Amino acid sequence: MRTRDVAIVSFAQAPLDQPPGMSETTLLLPTITEALERVGLTRRDVGFTCSGSADYLTGGTFTFVQMLEAAGAWPPISESHVEMDGAWALYEAYVRLLHGDVDVALVYASGRAGLSVSLRETLALQNDPYYLVPLGADYVSLAALQAKAVLAATGRTERDLAEIVARARRDAKTSANAAVAGDFAIDELLAKDHLVAPLREHDIGPPVDGAAAAVLVAGDRARDLVERPAWIAGIDHRADPHYPGMRDLARSASSTLAGEKARVHEGGVEIAELTTVCSADELVLRDALRLGDDVAITPSGGSLVGNATMVDGLARIGAAFRHTSEGRAQRALGHASSGPCLQQNLVCVLEARA
Amino acid sequence: MKEPVQFMSQLTAVEYRVPEASALAQRIGSAIAESRIIGHACPECGKVYVPPRGYCPLCSVPTRDANEVDVQPRGTITTFSVITPLQYQGQEEKDDYVQATILLDGTHSTIGMQRINGVAIADVHTGMRVAAKWRPESERVLSGGAGRNLALGEAIAGWEPTGEPDAPLSEYADYIV
Repeated sequence: MRTRDVAIVSFAQAPLDQPPGMSETTLLLPTITEALERVGLTRRDVGFTCSGSADYLTGGTFTFVQMLEAAGAWPPISESHVEMDGAWALYEAYVRLLHGDVDVALVYASGRAGLSVSLRETLALQNDPYYLVPLGADYVSLAALQAKAVLAATGRTERDLAEIVARARRDAKTSANAAVAGDFAIDELLAKDHLVAPLREHDIGPPVDGAAAAVLVAGDRARDLVERPAWIAGIDHRADPHYPGMRDLARSASSTLAGEKARVHEGGVEIAELTTVCSADELVLRDALRLGDDVAITPSGGSLVGNATMVDGLARIGAAFRHTSEGRAQRALGHASSGPCLQQNLVCVLEARA
Repeated sequence: MKEPVQFMSQLTAVEYRVPEASALAQRIGSAIAESRIIGHACPECGKVYVPPRGYCPLCSVPTRDANEVDVQPRGTITTFSVITPLQYQGQEEKDDYVQATILLDGTHSTIGMQRINGVAIADVHTGMRVAAKWRPESERVLSGGAGRNLALGEAIAGWEPTGEPDAPLSEYADYIV
């Protein structure tokens, strides 16, 4: 049931190049200001605020409370936080706008993956404490299991993975959020040692700190603010079983379902911005979402050139917003993922309307 | 047949890097080394924050070196706790002591976790006027770490009553947290 049209009207992302010692709050403050000022809004115009972050990344407690200082929480505001990627905060904001009593929502996300000495060890703690944590099953090793499964099931090869990485790094040459970019020869990439077979270091996005903010507006107010709102045609999120052993890792049933609910199957998606922990995730997601060869995949460079953990999914939706609002696509898809081996997936289809 | 319950221990460690000190944190640290406390005055609302955060959380605007003000090491206790130290391994405290939140004169944010010395615990009360007792410079260990209360305790041994009359509640009522 869709009772109201909701659009993304603005998006901002903190550039990767920052002075030393930036906290999540100081990363977010100018980012939120930029997102609002672009459409002539102030913090006082916001009716609902929702954020996504994870304290595990910094080892701090309740850091999201301090981050509210960037949102401006006095006089008191209506706000919520998800211990999830900001894409799930965007989902909550979307649902909140459907209620009909507020028109403007602010969504933001931040993460400092760079503070973990080993992000692999930190993220291993998200797994079930009985079977996987004692094994030290880290996200790179789990991603490698998935990569192995999808290569075996599809007959595709490590060369296909290297081509995905080379494309992402080439696309990211002008990106302010790429930790690595440029032209790389496939054979040179393939000459590197495996990190965890069949994955090499370049198959995994380098962890980076990040912050991003988006502004969602309902109905006519969105048309008043911008010429070309990116309307949310469909948005949905689904989860696979937490335990990877219970799944066919070559497939992503939750992505397929979320894609159907988000109306991807209606067609017309020209650009898909996908969250991919490793290069092989793109193969899984392309099949799961049934994206044909005519769909451009993650021209922003995406997670493979800089994995801003907790921000990445929102940033993919933000990139899809830019493709739509800047006229590169009539319909664009933003995808977010969370958990081991693409366990949870969120799909958001944006469209421009005449 | 009922199997006996077995227990296993599983030790977990997560290692983090200490965040780099920002330029502002270093500036605050250098000031403390010279027995100075600095704050930032918001260019919009004029409120003074100690230690400076680099922004005003009420106006959501950045604050910069140009907004720096000197703050006197003197203020009013807004709240306090009497701590009874548990004797765990590594505990250095033996006797009960007082940690207080202090509103420094001319500022609009409190500093927490400040040690109160030079007064019987039973006589500590909110509204009490206190001043900093600086450690001798040779005894200061400045970590330069970035934290909200920015290691004031590394340069200040504690706060002692000044003997002034208590501040009226109206002067600090908005700062009790």
